[in-house]
Amino acid sequence: MSPITDEELLKRLPDTLIDHDNKEFYRGWLDHRLLIDRCESCGNWFHPPSAVCPECWSRRVTPTEVSGRGTVHLLVRLHQGRPAPGVDYSTPHPVATVELVEQEGLRLTSTIVRCPAENMRIGMPVQLAWVDRYGEPYPVFEPAGR
Amino acid sequence: MPRNPIKDQISFVGVGSTGFARSATGRSRTDLALEASIAAITDAGLEAKDIDGVVGTAPAAHRIAEDLGLPEVTHHSNQPMPLAFAVVDAMNAIYSGSCDTVLVYHALYRAPANSQAAANDPFRRGLGFGGSPAPAPFRVDPEQLGAEGYAAWASRYFHEYGAPQEVLGLIAVNERSNAVRNPLAAMRTPITMEDYLSARMVREPLRLLDMDVPVDGADAFVLTTTERARDLAKTPVMIHAAAVGLPKHHGEDRIDGLSHHGQHVVVKSLRAKSDVWIPDVDVYFPYDGFTIIALSWIENTGWCKPGEGYDFIRSNWDSGGNRIMIDGRIPVNTHGGNHSEGGTQGSGHIREAIAQLRGEAGDRQVTGARTALLTPGGFFNNAQGLVLRTDR
Repeated sequence: MSPITDEELLKRLPDTLIDHDNKEFYRGWLDHRLLIDRCESCGNWFHPPSAVCPECWSRRVTPTEVSGRGTVHLLVRLHQGRPAPGVDYSTPHPVATVELVEQEGLRLTSTIVRCPAENMRIGMPVQLAWVDRYGEPYPVFEPAGR
Repeated sequence: MPRNPIKDQISFVGVGSTGFARSATGRSRTDLALEASIAAITDAGLEAKDIDGVVGTAPAAHRIAEDLGLPEVTHHSNQPMPLAFAVVDAMNAIYSGSCDTVLVYHALYRAPANSQAAANDPFRRGLGFGGSPAPAPFRVDPEQLGAEGYAAWASRYFHEYGAPQEVLGLIAVNERSNAVRNPLAAMRTPITMEDYLSARMVREPLRLLDMDVPVDGADAFVLTTTERARDLAKTPVMIHAAAVGLPKHHGEDRIDGLSHHGQHVVVKSLRAKSDVWIPDVDVYFPYDGFTIIALSWIENTGWCKPGEGYDFIRSNWDSGGNRIMIDGRIPVNTHGGNHSEGGTQGSGHIREAIAQLRGEAGDRQVTGARTALLTPGGFFNNAQGLVLRTDR
């Protein structure tokens, strides 16, 4: 598989604010890979992306694939909100901040799919999944162990 | 002791407000800012030639200076919200000698996304948050936390402490009960706990009545040295201590947790700088852009322990006034806060504190009020604190 070029990335995610710090994060989406910045010097994971590790100021930062496993840390149900294809607020849209297993405090916020609303709760284990949004992959979470 | 050489050296000497409305005003944001600014300068007994500093949120400070015909300005800047950022910049500019007398202003202006009345105003097309021109339409997914971050951490509050949802309702009822007596307020019809619980969910677990009210309006202030203030018309209201606080992790989904965020940084700094602290204040103003913010300020400022807000508020509830009255004497957000006076991003809290300390708060007046504690801002990148005093 040939790597996705910068031009292709910008063309496939046309309205996204992509810069030199987060371009690999978004390039990962197109390959269904969740890439989170990790410092090669001190091992720290951090998000959102930055050229410099906030713990040790090293520039040896590598976008690194994570397991996608984690635990729901915050959970909101939006009864109204910004428009997006496939998001229907007639049933409340769940928004979950997930603490990833790689490191305490390393979190990613998205929605939860394939889970009845009554089963969603803070503390539930989840895993990464992908849905289609605007015709391209978008990272979400689903209950673990599916 | 931490350094606080500016303690009591800078005072508020003028205050002005347009009052707040949810109906279409048919006026521009700049118009509102100018009305409040002229009122504040007049209140101080000053004129355009006396103002040599201008600090505000929006519109641009240089534009306000020009529209007011200020002849020579030697310090001007625009600061983010809430307004204590502007107050801190203004007081530092005066103390350092950059200027002597500063106009501080904040104008609220609803965008089409905020209300139907604003959407019906053809001259607001293309305006975004706060009435500034809307930014380029980059993709923002529904899951991107902005203001939704407070609903997210409210979910965590209920998860960690098992508090009943009525704890937030008590905050909302308190604000409305106070706004009833504030002629500047947009929302003056009393509400009950039943009204709160039956309000529609917006960002569950937060309801419509957990959120501030978008309004049009403006507040403005004049600050100068306390030494000069003693020669002016009104009782000087001194800035005894001021703090802003930024924690290491301050993204909406990245703060360490409910036990450490911006509020904790502010409280630590402000408490160290101030000679007075709770319960020796006469009136308290926790920020309340969302009810969860005010509840958290009450807990994190130390009025009670984390997670004990429900019991604390209930045991300090004035059932006659249907509002909080700490120790039977300290009311909270006497103007009605962002919830019921209107979403002023903190300018209303400062204006009301000045009115209370001057003894100009009418039938809201706290008898003999001399010390006010204000904690503007929230959890993330905008927590602030002020201790204001008068020696009248």
